[in-house]
Amino acid sequence: MERISIEERDDWRSQAEEVGFDFHTFDGEPYWDETACYRFSLAQIENDIEDPSADIENLCFEVVERAINDSEVMARLAIPETFWDYIRNSWLNREKNLYGRLDFSYDGKGPAKLLEYNADTPTALYESAVFQWLWLEQAMEREIIPAGCDQFNSLHEALVEAFKTADIEGPFHLASCQGSPEDEGTVRYLEECARQAGLNTKFLYIEDIGIDPDGHFTDLDDMGIATLFKLYPWEWIMNDEFGKSVPNSGLRFIEPGWKAILSNKGLMPLLWEMFEGHPNLLPSFFEDDPRISQLGDLSMVPGLTSGYVRKPLFSREGSNVQIIRPGQRPISVEGPYGSEGAIIQALHPLPVFEGNHTVIGSWLVASKPCGIGIREDDSPITKDSSRFLPHVIY
Amino acid sequence: MKRSSSLKLAFMGASALALTACDQPQDVAIFESVEQCSQQDGFDSNSCQQNMDLARQEHIAVAPKYSVIEDCEADFGAASCEIAPVQTQSGGSVFMPLMMGYMMGNMLSGNSRVATQPLYRSKDDPSNFRTADNQKVAGKTGLSTVPGKVAKAPTVKTSTLRRGGFGASAPSLRSFGG
Repeated sequence: MERISIEERDDWRSQAEEVGFDFHTFDGEPYWDETACYRFSLAQIENDIEDPSADIENLCFEVVERAINDSEVMARLAIPETFWDYIRNSWLNREKNLYGRLDFSYDGKGPAKLLEYNADTPTALYESAVFQWLWLEQAMEREIIPAGCDQFNSLHEALVEAFKTADIEGPFHLASCQGSPEDEGTVRYLEECARQAGLNTKFLYIEDIGIDPDGHFTDLDDMGIATLFKLYPWEWIMNDEFGKSVPNSGLRFIEPGWKAILSNKGLMPLLWEMFEGHPNLLPSFFEDDPRISQLGDLSMVPGLTSGYVRKPLFSREGSNVQIIRPGQRPISVEGPYGSEGAIIQALHPLPVFEGNHTVIGSWLVASKPCGIGIREDDSPITKDSSRFLPHVIY
Repeated sequence: MKRSSSLKLAFMGASALALTACDQPQDVAIFESVEQCSQQDGFDSNSCQQNMDLARQEHIAVAPKYSVIEDCEADFGAASCEIAPVQTQSGGSVFMPLMMGYMMGNMLSGNSRVATQPLYRSKDDPSNFRTADNQKVAGKTGLSTVPGKVAKAPTVKTSTLRRGGFGASAPSLRSFGG
């Protein structure tokens, strides 16, 4: 694994705008960055990212199996009790999931360490699946990189295939929140994939969803919504006014309810508790776990001696994450999260390449690993101001 | 190869392509009652009853719903609406048009691509039977041939009481994906 500085395609901005990638720049700062790319060997991709991703997905299923049968676990994840049966049934009925992203700290040498699982509302999908792919083809053609390179990225094919076998009947609704071009871009791309799979789609905003007298959710044409892809976190659905109507609405959600267990940072201590010592897992604990909360000084806890990270259960885009290292000032990011509880995870700093802190997002579609997306940040915590860089295999 | 072998964006940015579904005409049968159905050549009273029961069940699910009876009568005519066996979230009454007949497959042609369903008559076109999706079926009972889309199961058309019950939990962030 190495970071290689390369020449930009001079027309990438106009190309981005042509293909609907209109969030390539944010607040004047580039989000898409092709002044460099990351190079991996095939063995690094297959042995260190792809296989561990598949393995972790299976471990996650075991966590779900445990959580749905253990009310104590559901309570620790701060999932409202009124949703326990609903989530349990969504798993027992084998409601199909679509996609997710495992975020790893990996430097090309030791085993990749799982930082968290964006199992419910991952973004950066479009740039991973499409723009990164396009870059590879053109970069080879324009001799920016050697011919015969490859990329770990069959996301597009996997998404279209997943929609073909998703058993979606009638119109398929997809929704994102108003006012976020990035989220809407992700959803519009998924809509594109669904249409290529032959589905009849309808986009709407989360805020425009209505409810009818029978407690069914409706779209702007007053048509009942049968299947909904929502780029809107489960913990917010459960907390919203319409949330209480969800369990009896008959609506099929993608991602399904059971993803609420995996998108929660509480997944990390549950994985550690069940599979302690797994090479791709970091020691993690619930903050209120008596085993650590009674110690007072967390740097005395085995596994946490060289520092730890505190993450709220529902934090997103790095918000409210704190890094604590012995003898150093804590690093933290402000944000709106935290009242729901937090986890403590052993610090495994992101590798630094030419001053950039690099995180690898490993994509799963229908639970199968099928690609990666790389983000860089100036700080050790990856935030929404990070940059997306392409990668090659050769 | 670890990447997609091809990639196209058929819809994004570009103007949407119209997808035309194959629409074969279907043979259907339309009746106002089980008795009328039983008298049709080739139709037996058991099947007539079963299809009627099915249509009645569907009626509750697919009939247009109203929270005010006047709105229902404006669309379907005076004394043509009934109270639906459902309530609004706040416990109020819900109204729907009376079922005026039902559609089933033609038993002679053994057509299974017809969705048994209730039929209605609207105030502005009382001579024709219409589906719950407001598609014109035919003016007479007995056998008819209709476009394929008319014989499909109706979508659950409903009336929206309120919107905006989702979205309040979102903090104002650029993205909350992650």
